[in-house]
Amino acid sequence: MSPALRAALAMLALAGPVAAQDFSVGSEAASWGLAGERPARFEAEVVDVLCLLSGDCPTDCAAGARQLGLLRAVDGVLVLPMKNGQPVFSGAVDDLAPFCGQTVEVDGLLVGEAAATPAPFYQVQRIRPQGAADFIPADGFTTAWATRNPEAAAEGGDWFRLDPGVRGRIAAEGYLGLGLETDAAFIADWF
Amino acid sequence: MRLSSARRAMGLAALLPVVLASGTAAATPDAPARIEVTGEMIDTWCYFSGVMGGPEAVVGSAHHTCALWCAAGGIPVGLLADDGTVYMVLKLEGADPLAAPDTLLTVASDRLTADGLHYLRDGVNYLVVERVVANEGIVNLTHETFGPIPGFAIPEPAQ
Repeated sequence: MSPALRAALAMLALAGPVAAQDFSVGSEAASWGLAGERPARFEAEVVDVLCLLSGDCPTDCAAGARQLGLLRAVDGVLVLPMKNGQPVFSGAVDDLAPFCGQTVEVDGLLVGEAAATPAPFYQVQRIRPQGAADFIPADGFTTAWATRNPEAAAEGGDWFRLDPGVRGRIAAEGYLGLGLETDAAFIADWF
Repeated sequence: MRLSSARRAMGLAALLPVVLASGTAAATPDAPARIEVTGEMIDTWCYFSGVMGGPEAVVGSAHHTCALWCAAGGIPVGLLADDGTVYMVLKLEGADPLAAPDTLLTVASDRLTADGLHYLRDGVNYLVVERVVANEGIVNLTHETFGPIPGFAIPEPAQ
């Protein structure tokens, strides 16, 4: 019997217990007070979600141009990380992209109330590359954004106020997205 | 991409019942379904995490600026269908979402009808939008009820 087949049979045998597994063991994730949050630390392969689903697989997970997933080692469940550890409207792709195709250990929060969420999503707070002694914080977005937008970053301040794309949309359609005239009337009434 | 041992094992595990039942071992890749779906382009993190309150407050015009921030920040964008299903958008008319974030920003909070391929994996719905059939713009005027969400989304005018 091949090692892969033995592993598959072991997974089948464990399918029941795994489904109810508690991933909080050893987690040091900080609480964010989110809906249904529970700490979760697990090993996973960093994958290009679209590649996994469709077979459309550019090299290096499209170099950060696509959403990345965490294929959990213990049960093969694809966990979607929506957020990194920074409280600044930032996703997790910049933090996970260097590990495309690699197995890492992640620590963070599974998020979402069971009744309102199709499956738990994930906020990754720290990552431990395979073989590394220590975790690294998942806080790489702002540095990566500054590298991509050096002129905007040079102005100083919150990235989301400076991002050229965001600024362009707000300049064109206002903060509400309904046009500058509607925006001006709302702002005059609201403040 | 090279398949890890775990993925190979999971693939075999998925095939085992078929193998045992029929004696055949043909691989069956995830089969997408073509769908046309209408709904609002949303910021999925705020919608599911409750970080800014209930789901009714983090959609539409009230949340438009935050939806721009989150899309630009690389948080997955979703299409909230009229039946309540949220489809995580993996491509929009051929563009990888984070390669062309401005493409996503132009449709943030808009009500769209999209034609594309639907994948379902581990309970999560994913959508590759091949064509935007119709775009009604922002029609969910939640700012009239909630004001801006979060409150600092619109800077207070200088006195």
